[in-house]
Amino acid sequence: VGAKQLERADLEPLIEQLQAQLITKNVAADIGSQICESVCTSLLGTSQQGFGTMRATVRSALEKTLTRILTPSHRVDMLAAAAAAKAEGRPYVICFVGVNGVGKSTSLSKVAYYLKSNGFTPMLCACDTFRAGAVEQLRVHANALELPLFEKGYGRDASGIAQDGVRYAKQMGHDVVLIDTAGRMQDNEPLMRALSKLVTLNNPDLVLFVGEALVGNEAVDQVRGFNKSLSEYSASRDPRLIDGIMLTKFDTISDKVGAALSLVYTTGKPIVFVGVGQTYTDIRNLNVDHCVRSLLKS
Amino acid sequence: MVLADLGSKVADALRKMTRATVVDQTVMNEMLAEICKALLQADVNVAQVKALRESIKKNVDVEALASGLNKRKMLEQAVCNELCAMLDPGKEPYVPKKKQPNVIMFVGLQGCGKTTTCTKYAHLYKRKGFKCALVCADTFRAGAFDQLKQNATKAKIPFYGSYTETDPAQIAAEGVAKFKEEGYEVIIVDTSGRHMQEEALFEEMEQVAQLTSPDDIVFASAFKKKVAVGSCIITKLDGHAKGGGALSAVAATGAPITHIGTGEHIEDFEDFEVKSFVSRMLGKGNIK
Repeated sequence: VGAKQLERADLEPLIEQLQAQLITKNVAADIGSQICESVCTSLLGTSQQGFGTMRATVRSALEKTLTRILTPSHRVDMLAAAAAAKAEGRPYVICFVGVNGVGKSTSLSKVAYYLKSNGFTPMLCACDTFRAGAVEQLRVHANALELPLFEKGYGRDASGIAQDGVRYAKQMGHDVVLIDTAGRMQDNEPLMRALSKLVTLNNPDLVLFVGEALVGNEAVDQVRGFNKSLSEYSASRDPRLIDGIMLTKFDTISDKVGAALSLVYTTGKPIVFVGVGQTYTDIRNLNVDHCVRSLLKS
Repeated sequence: MVLADLGSKVADALRKMTRATVVDQTVMNEMLAEICKALLQADVNVAQVKALRESIKKNVDVEALASGLNKRKMLEQAVCNELCAMLDPGKEPYVPKKKQPNVIMFVGLQGCGKTTTCTKYAHLYKRKGFKCALVCADTFRAGAFDQLKQNATKAKIPFYGSYTETDPAQIAAEGVAKFKEEGYEVIIVDTSGRHMQEEALFEEMEQVAQLTSPDDIVFASAFKKKVAVGSCIITKLDGHAKGGGALSAVAATGAPITHIGTGEHIEDFEDFEVKSFVSRMLGKGNIK
């Protein structure tokens, strides 16, 4: 048997299998099919020895594609950026956004701990003025981490509080401001408008989208919805979009890591951290190899 | 309507089928393919989607149907039935009874909305004329008691909790005993969020369950093995949320879904009834 040119008909059944596999791993359905389609196209016409290794060929091509998608084009180096802002004599501002209950406040306190243990003095800014207990929750974290907290209670306009917070941090010489926002569904227009206002007004250095690894197709909708609202409702000509992703509850999903793939594929932004538990030290960088292996493991 | 996206896609597929001149195997397969795609996009488990497809194919043999029967209507009905079956575990949920204490314990993953839902649940039963009370047994998460306290105050529902006590089982037992004595009918115990990979937290949850001996434990999939979950509440079904997956996954555990949460406010909470839910989802009005 000589070299055989791969044809669509040969690939289709294998591709279909892999697509189903990706979906069981929590990859959003249409993203799974788009990725498989592109793998298929890239393999068309290439030569292939014998029949037995076809599966391996497709698999390795998919593996390469997944690795490429998950490896971001640029990294968010929070410490370097914060140090640069400090040299300019202004606080480095990070804004946490996301839907309800994904772990914004908890992630914020983890990042605060991370920054603190690297020699910065972060200040927490309580801009969730809606949900019951939100300010108290942040105060508990601030006390535990021995960090300053800026809050003005409930019911107030969040963007104003954020502005005052940043100004206050500058006066007091705090290096980093971590803005906590209220959870909101991506298609809730009034709330998304308010968020866009907060982001436009304060122009934070980093807009961190917090998403949970538990969601499937929803992940794509969420991040698209946030990006769309941030650009649509923004008054400025060059609207701020999401700069990075923090993926939480990574410890709850065993090998169904598809949300990571969906989010990175949709936004093209890096996963800055993953959250792997409920304590301050449960924060990691994303291990791309491990992620790809989990996705391909059946 | 929640799940509007899924509903409109399925309804579309059905409409396309009814418009076909001749209903045969190809038309049916096309329709099924479209419905399955819609379900997958709503995060329904692959295996369940497959099962639905097989079962419809098995139940409706288009070619062999007698001439008098309306094939279109039959297919439509079959799809409706399968969707209902997917969401229906075939078990009656626990219903709180009047004039006796009903202890209800809420469990679930972190951030799934337990605390908010506790208040909504209490509010709903309060409007139905029950004497309701809330117990906060979440001693782990920062600000948990404050959250419940503020919620309960807003809804004017008595609550019990502690800033200093760290043993959740202790608080739960005390709170439940106190409210029982005072003649409350629906006593709701809120616990901290946890997931399967956290053994220690599960032991703690079992302790709370033992000490309070709840009549009903509300929510969720993996928990079924550890404690006898009685019913489920699906939260965050509002807007675009692709709750299809949650709905079907929960139904697969065998615990009936009793309510759904559709927003952040205390009134955003409805009773869940499979048949009317499915028919509303497909845009056919609320028929029973």
